[in-house]
Amino acid sequence: MSQRTERRGGIHVDQSDLLCKNGCGYYGNAAWQALCSKCWREEYQKVRHKQIQDDWALAAKLQREEEAAYASSHGSQAQPPPQSTNPQPGHASLGPFSKFEEKKTNEKTRKVTTVKKFFSPSSRSAPKKETQEGKTPSPSLSRRASFDTDQVSKDFMDFLKNLHKPGREIHKQCRAFIVTMSSKKVQDLGADELSECVQDFYQNLSDRLLGHFKGSSESVEQVMDQVEKYIMTRLYKSVFCPETSDDEKKDLATQNRIRALHWVTIEMLCLSFDEEIPEVSENVVKAITDVIEMDSKRVPRDKLSCITRCSKHIFSAIRITKKEPASADDFLPALIYIVLKANPPRLQSNIQYITRFCNPSRLMSGEDGYYFTNLCCAAAFIEKLDAQSLNLSPEEFERYMSGQASPRSSDGVWSSAPPSDPINPVLAQLNTNLEALSGLSTRQEALMEAAQSLQAELLSWPQSVQHEVTGILKKYPLEVPPRHVPAIDDNDDVDNDNLPPPLMPQVFSG
Amino acid sequence: MSAMRVDAKVVMLGKESVGKTSLVERYVHHRFLVGPYQNTIGAAFVAKPIQVGEKVITLGIWDTAGSERYEAMSRIYYRGARAAIVSYDLTDSSSFQRARFWVKELQNCEEHCKIYLCGSKSDLISEDRSLRQIDYHDAQDFADEIGAQHFETSSKTGTNVDELFQKVAEDYNSNAFQEMKPEETSVDLSQKKDSYFYSCCHNN
Ligand SMILES: Nc1nc2c(ncn2[C@@H]2O[C@H](COP(=O)(O)OP(=O)(O)O)[C@@H](O)[C@H]2O)c(=O)[nH]1
Ligand SMILES: [Mg+2]
Ligand SMILES: [Zn+2]
Repeated sequence: MSQRTERRGGIHVDQSDLLCKNGCGYYGNAAWQALCSKCWREEYQKVRHKQIQDDWALAAKLQREEEAAYASSHGSQAQPPPQSTNPQPGHASLGPFSKFEEKKTNEKTRKVTTVKKFFSPSSRSAPKKETQEGKTPSPSLSRRASFDTDQVSKDFMDFLKNLHKPGREIHKQCRAFIVTMSSKKVQDLGADELSECVQDFYQNLSDRLLGHFKGSSESVEQVMDQVEKYIMTRLYKSVFCPETSDDEKKDLATQNRIRALHWVTIEMLCLSFDEEIPEVSENVVKAITDVIEMDSKRVPRDKLSCITRCSKHIFSAIRITKKEPASADDFLPALIYIVLKANPPRLQSNIQYITRFCNPSRLMSGEDGYYFTNLCCAAAFIEKLDAQSLNLSPEEFERYMSGQASPRSSDGVWSSAPPSDPINPVLAQLNTNLEALSGLSTRQEALMEAAQSLQAELLSWPQSVQHEVTGILKKYPLEVPPRHVPAIDDNDDVDNDNLPPPLMPQVFSG
Repeated sequence: MSAMRVDAKVVMLGKESVGKTSLVERYVHHRFLVGPYQNTIGAAFVAKPIQVGEKVITLGIWDTAGSERYEAMSRIYYRGARAAIVSYDLTDSSSFQRARFWVKELQNCEEHCKIYLCGSKSDLISEDRSLRQIDYHDAQDFADEIGAQHFETSSKTGTNVDELFQKVAEDYNSNAFQEMKPEETSVDLSQKKDSYFYSCCHNN
């Protein structure tokens, strides 16, 4: 469940990692925690359910803490804040959402048992976490839910605490929203509708916050960043590349497309990178790493940050090459080049996810938004790229695409230079890793073949054994001799010599 | 990595070499570079705070890649823009045709985007009137027709450059102010009316 287990850098691959962890025989996928898609869906339903329960438990606990803190810090001011007309300020905001209230009671019954479980000493505990919490070593914190997700909740609560009453209100809205979004009906919605739900939520909440903060959009955005982080960490698994979309198909298409374009060179893109300068190639490698890392983040804003970091490295690479600041004219082709080199995992899914679920103000106007938009352009360019866009003749383009010819190989996107290439140690390392990987995959294939023939053998083994047994049975039919009554008759043909002499009656005199 | 908060997105559109990048460069860095080999310097994205009355409006200025081969991609750039500076070169009539094209695109796709028509390189005209290929009044008529502001600028001398961006910021400010007004009365975080807060999920 934790983000950490979702390692993408599959450089070190254990053979057993490649098959579904459940042992169902299909291939697993790191993105599905080493399960196959089917097992993952099943497992995931369970996990999500558990997470909702844990959410409630944690939220309830944090809320108690928070209320206690509020009560103690406000001492005698126990009366409800002036704006509130509800006698129960703690539950005020849930008033209009009676549907949620219902849902909540349903959840509550289950929740109780969960909470109890937390308190029982036998439940698996996470002592590390507790020492970190310091002042509240409550046993309820020893929960099984992922550390990351809990940490996000905790951070969110800590942040909201400083806002006092509005903070509590925000928390409730978010919690209720997450529950709604986790319901079965919502899960069946299309990707665009899911996006609309989240965007509506952002919009309404930020409108209300704008009123609260008297129009200070700075403060509103601060809160909204936290809200996005909290909500999207929770919803990520269910709304990233949802089944109802064709994101996955597009991912595959893009990935194959980028592979097919492995021959595109820096020159064809009219790009100013001099990778022979170590500093430039260093920045290029960093940019590649950053754009690949995007896939491992859950919060749209964190994904955006990866793109921004990637872009800054590109700007550095251009600046060092040209010895002056880069402009938009240099940047886009350079980004295209980096994307071609990185072939970032699930590029389309990530772009879609950010577009759908990022806070729009950040996406639309700010610096992050600019780089993100350029990434969208790069993806679109790669998709539509033809001979003309590379200043090639259609024939040349065809030849490269079909693999009949390749431009000078050292300029290729996948530089085929030997691993010992002294010019660029980092790329050389990449190459070595790639070779190791392809070696592994060859071995894996061999292993699969062996396993399959073993399986075939195993399947045919009982048959051949049976065959043999039948043969033997035919050869030596088991003849049951006519039933004879043993022992009583002393004239039996049994060899009596081996038997002890029969007991003879003895006469005792006297 | 906390980038500057930006109020409005402003995109630079127009044919290659009309002077988009130079315009941003002049406005933001107060400089102009000439040379056959170097047509642009400076960043592709600039966040620029501008004083408008009592307030400070931060414009996020989006420059676009000049090369024709990326022109189709420019459409992705103007999504969500609050203002577009559509430039044409006063000494190149074909660039004005291109400007018309961008205006049409914006009108079709981004109705909330205000258009600023900008005839560039006016210094060249001042030196030699015969170089002018786009009549001032023709351009002004076109601007009126599409409800756009119209400027003739020079990034070399700086003529009208500050005025152009100042106008963009002022328009944004007065627009944004108007949009906010009706909301001011209704929003209070502790109010719990909001029946549409989760509007999409009512079918639960
Ligand atoms: N004389 C003069 N030249 C300009 C002006 N603006 C741009 N240029 C030149 O026009 C060329 C293209 O400018 P650039 O800003 O790169 O255009 P872009 O492709 O639209 O970004 C460069 O050689 C600039 O020096 C101007 O206001 N006056
Ligand atoms: Mg330019
Ligand atoms: Zn499986």
